[in-house]
Amino acid sequence: MKTRNSTPSWITGLLDSSLNILIPVLAILAAFIVSGVLILAWGSNPIEAYAALFSGAFGSLNAIATTLTRLTPLIFTGLAVAYGYGSGFFNVGAEGQLFMGGLAATWVAVTFTDLPGILLIPLCMLAAAAAGSLLALIPGYLKASRGFNEVLTTLLINYIAIQYFEWALRIDHPTKGVDQAWTLVNWLGIKDASQPYPKSAEIPLAAELPSLGNLLNSKFMLGLFGHSQSYLDFISTPALNRITLGIVLAIVAIVIMYVITFKTTTGFRARAVGVNENAARYMGIDVKRTIITTALISGSLAGLAGGIEVLGSSHRVIERFLVDAGFTGIPVALIGQLHPFGVGLGALFFGALRAGANKMQIISAVPIAVVNVIQAMAILFAIAGATFDISTRIKKNQMAKKSRDLHEEIQAKSNEVTHA
Amino acid sequence: MLNDLLSIFGSVDFYVAVIRMTTPLLLAAMGGLVAERAGLVTFGMEGMMLMGTVGGVIGSHLTGSVWGGLLLAIIFGMFIGLAYAIMAVTVGAHQIVTCVALNMGTLGLTSVLFGLVFGGGKDAVVQDVVKVASLSTWKVPLLGDIPVIGPIFFNHYPLVYLAFLLVPAIWFLLYRTTWGLKIRAVGEHPHAADTVGINVVRTRYLTLLLAGALAGLAGAFLSIGVLNTWQENMTSGRGFIAYTAIVFGKWQPLGVFLGALLFGMADALQLRMQTMNINVPYQAMVAFPYIVTLIALVLFVGKASWPAASGLPFKREGK
Repeated sequence: MKTRNSTPSWITGLLDSSLNILIPVLAILAAFIVSGVLILAWGSNPIEAYAALFSGAFGSLNAIATTLTRLTPLIFTGLAVAYGYGSGFFNVGAEGQLFMGGLAATWVAVTFTDLPGILLIPLCMLAAAAAGSLLALIPGYLKASRGFNEVLTTLLINYIAIQYFEWALRIDHPTKGVDQAWTLVNWLGIKDASQPYPKSAEIPLAAELPSLGNLLNSKFMLGLFGHSQSYLDFISTPALNRITLGIVLAIVAIVIMYVITFKTTTGFRARAVGVNENAARYMGIDVKRTIITTALISGSLAGLAGGIEVLGSSHRVIERFLVDAGFTGIPVALIGQLHPFGVGLGALFFGALRAGANKMQIISAVPIAVVNVIQAMAILFAIAGATFDISTRIKKNQMAKKSRDLHEEIQAKSNEVTHA
Repeated sequence: MLNDLLSIFGSVDFYVAVIRMTTPLLLAAMGGLVAERAGLVTFGMEGMMLMGTVGGVIGSHLTGSVWGGLLLAIIFGMFIGLAYAIMAVTVGAHQIVTCVALNMGTLGLTSVLFGLVFGGGKDAVVQDVVKVASLSTWKVPLLGDIPVIGPIFFNHYPLVYLAFLLVPAIWFLLYRTTWGLKIRAVGEHPHAADTVGINVVRTRYLTLLLAGALAGLAGAFLSIGVLNTWQENMTSGRGFIAYTAIVFGKWQPLGVFLGALLFGMADALQLRMQTMNINVPYQAMVAFPYIVTLIALVLFVGKASWPAASGLPFKREGK
């Protein structure tokens, strides 16, 4: 008894967090090993294939730029799923919210083309977040007021939203220089009226997120380093233009979500509802309002995924733009153990796999499809690992600690309330 | 436009197409329904169907017989059902997350398997189109000769008859047999079922194997039935539509049947309207069944409609 109590809390804390990291890492390793068998069956050398995969994801500045581009939307959708999941709102609708977010950001950008970037970019992001959260509001409301399973409703709304997106791509958006009688319907559309293809016009330069290339080519930086030839050579690398503010915004989003989840009353209420709805209600938390707030936060993150993709990378919307980034948010969140920082690492894993897949196919003739298998195996191992008996005992302690912590937090909060 | 619509609804071909489009949805949805009633979310039917599509072409290619294709499609579908059962029932993992993973994995696995068999491995080019022994239609004697009704209902691939006969069969299974009673008990209250001696784990495994087998057949219907080709992601969301049909039908066989029929009809209508250049947005047609399902869900489906233990893992107490 005594010895157990004498274990310093920081050691158990370290054990807990190391387990949180260990499970996904082991899961990813196991996924690579199992998928290696598939690559062997294909007739390629798995080690060679994985080396190509790695170098395709991190081997050059160009590869890193691709990885960063791929992982940015995954961070946002991963955060959207993680926040919702931890709070009892399983948002399977990130895919549809993402499409609507991309559409809204593009719409604002190609409509208010004359605004300066400093206004236009925030406006586009706001529109994207609003579109995403609006789409999540319906399932949120239905769950809060009538107990509807949000998985069903978000899923159904996904399909409707994606079809709306595809429709809007084919309706001419009022475009300068195109002479045509514009009707109300045109304002719902996004298609570039001067082109026959179902795609939007490119967003104005002012709406594009600044890139690392822009920064290094700025007058200030050139004034500092412009006399060095190697610096001038370096900044002419095209890959630098693909590393944009988007990834910085994604990292900021991770930090903000960490603060919201663990340091604010909103996040605390949401987590309480996620752990036990009835207990939360008993504590005096307005469960309905919390569910709706959770849905709105989750939806706005997924909407931002689409918006940032448009502003930072694609610069327009096209057919099947960013396919599956919404659904992939689910495994990203789970590999990340539903923690905002974990989501960052999960998105890195998934983004790197997608970025490196091409090189793997070119060098060792392994089909890109293998990447899907690696991803799936990693998720299965991770969720199995989290429930398996080996870790059950440790997990149980962890759960007990979590609920104890939450309980203490509740006590502290209610004391605050009574004192105020 | 009205005339165009009338001409669609007046043509025999349209109804033949409706029945064909309904078939894969119905096959998958009827199997899924049984697993759903046992408390399992069948969001993974997409993956089972995908495995069925590739199982169909591989089996048909290797054995030279379409029956070999159907058999392998069933086995491949059951394999995913088994994988799901291990994760959801034995391990107790989150069901929807498992389904998302399985759908993602099968998307890759099917391509690799197809490439292994038809692409000859590493250096060969994977062909998108293969020709293998495929299903042919079977006209029901006598009934098939009736004008109008004959061609619409009685001149189809054998799997079509199977799909439609499954509706009364599954109804009978669920409501008139002991096994059906066990399945429903397991889905509503697994602990109570366990105390009266029903093997919850075995029941759930068996329903998932059944769901996998039927979804596999549904996939094969696409690859070695109507289309007679294979391409990546060829189910293109039909597994999710089948899942939606179950929700639309409030977990009742007849309702699920009507749901599948509605989705099949929308599918057929949209194909016709595409060729006739009618001025209703194609996307509205595709979205229509989902909108109907959402409205039906909000208006008619109460909380009590789905199996009470849906999505929850079962752990015996005191173990």
